[in-house]
Amino acid sequence: MNSAIRIAIALLAVVVLAALPWFGSDVIVQFGISTLLLAVLAQGWNIIGGYTGYPSFGNSTFFGLGAYGVAVAMVQWNMPFWVGMVFGAAMAVCFAILLGLPVLRLKGHYFAIATLALAQVVAAIVSNIPLFGQNIGLVLPPLNNDAMFYELSLALLLMATLTVWWLTRSRFGFGLIAIRENEEGAAVMGVNTTLYKVMAFALSGLFSSLAGGIQAYWITFLDPASAFDISLNVKMIIMAVFGGPGTVLGPIVGAVVLSAVSEVLSSEVTNAAGLFFGIVVVAAVVLMPRGLADIVHHFRKSGWRYFVQNIRAHRI
Amino acid sequence: MSAILEIVHVTRRFAGLVAVNDVSFALNEGEILGVIGPNGAGKTTLVGLISGTLPPSSGDIVFKGRSVTSLPAFRRARLGIGRTFQIMRPFPGLSVLDNVAVGALFGYGRGTSDLEEARQKARRNLEFVGLSRFADHLADELGGPGRKRLELAKALAMEPKLLLCDEVMAGLNHVEIDEVIGIIRKVRDLGITILVIEHVIKAIKSLSDRLLVIHHGEKIADGIPDAVLSDKTVVEAYLGKRQA
Repeated sequence: MNSAIRIAIALLAVVVLAALPWFGSDVIVQFGISTLLLAVLAQGWNIIGGYTGYPSFGNSTFFGLGAYGVAVAMVQWNMPFWVGMVFGAAMAVCFAILLGLPVLRLKGHYFAIATLALAQVVAAIVSNIPLFGQNIGLVLPPLNNDAMFYELSLALLLMATLTVWWLTRSRFGFGLIAIRENEEGAAVMGVNTTLYKVMAFALSGLFSSLAGGIQAYWITFLDPASAFDISLNVKMIIMAVFGGPGTVLGPIVGAVVLSAVSEVLSSEVTNAAGLFFGIVVVAAVVLMPRGLADIVHHFRKSGWRYFVQNIRAHRI
Repeated sequence: MSAILEIVHVTRRFAGLVAVNDVSFALNEGEILGVIGPNGAGKTTLVGLISGTLPPSSGDIVFKGRSVTSLPAFRRARLGIGRTFQIMRPFPGLSVLDNVAVGALFGYGRGTSDLEEARQKARRNLEFVGLSRFADHLADELGGPGRKRLELAKALAMEPKLLLCDEVMAGLNHVEIDEVIGIIRKVRDLGITILVIEHVIKAIKSLSDRLLVIHHGEKIADGIPDAVLSDKTVVEAYLGKRQA
């Protein structure tokens, strides 16, 4: 497929998605907003987890800081929404730089555990600050305009995706991939690994916090438990990994497919929905550990044997 | 001839073990210096100290008249120090071409920021080491000898002024060794100064202008290959006292 056709298809997809609020029902639009925001989170995680190879559990913290940025600005300071977005993004980026410097020295599981601990600490701190509404939470002024939230979320996803696409063809992105593939090898080739890792973490934090800001204004209520929910971090990882970490479209596909599966399951089998969702995720990890994007690349070559090869690789 | 690299009383300790002990030597511009020594002599540690992946416990490393002892590895790479790894460190998930392109995107003077230009440069480097036909394969798919060449191509794409080769011939057969020797000579003809660490004495003898022998972390000989290899302490270090 040549690049002109690809760009045309991508533009068409964006136009169709952007027009959804005009022909879709309220339920569809609401499903659209939450899915788009999850896709932004998965795409943000993709930058630090998928491209740089650092499995962050701190991204839900960025999300929470972004949400609190908007809530504090609008409720406590009577500032407009966009000021809150900037404030939240600034908090998230500062957090990423200050804590990224020490934490990004750790690798693999140690990095995951350290970021997980940080997320708990931030939640505990926030629930003790009066400005942040402590444990009671903050109630934002309601705005009944789902179409606007939808378009805003779509625009944010577009920005995040264009950024990731830029990574695949820039020196910065190649530096990140080199770090993921072999950090010492990258350093001796001239990659400033510390700077690049912190920048990737901050970029990841920027998109996650903006998603948090939109979510806060849309839901109109915020407390520490919902803002710093660690299961949200697990969700974005599952979505990015399901779709294909380290690919441009994988996290979006993962977010859309898993959101749809979860939506259908919870309306059809309510009680056992969590169980079925778990089965879907386990099956995906066993049968296609490198995500949907990898299937697209290898299915043509190996056919059904692809799944058998993956099961064998697991030694199950 | 002026010295491009000076190692001045460099020592490196690992928790009680002295891997490199008070070693001093200079490397002249355009020279090929061979470094040999029995297993565990401290050869690879020496490469780590020069490339910046290991900080020295004491001593000074001077590159092109400037002390680089406190500089991190990436800064030394940008000044023109390139290295290969004995235990190869390719970027397994990237194509062979893109592995080399990383060298062109970073490397000496920060390299180029244009991906297409970097890939074109990478193609020339792959041709130089004879890996052109594997350009689109994943680095993971290369066999041992291919990976050794990939290490060389990656380091060369950085346009180094000094190339440190850590056992690029280990595990190769005679034909492959001759080919690698040919490549290293061609590298020198480009004006690049080379430090080669090797086990294969025959290969390194014909390649090096000068030989340095390390034993138990200490320099025990330094001079032209024939003289060094017939030196009594060197023979003792390799074969033991009785045979010597």
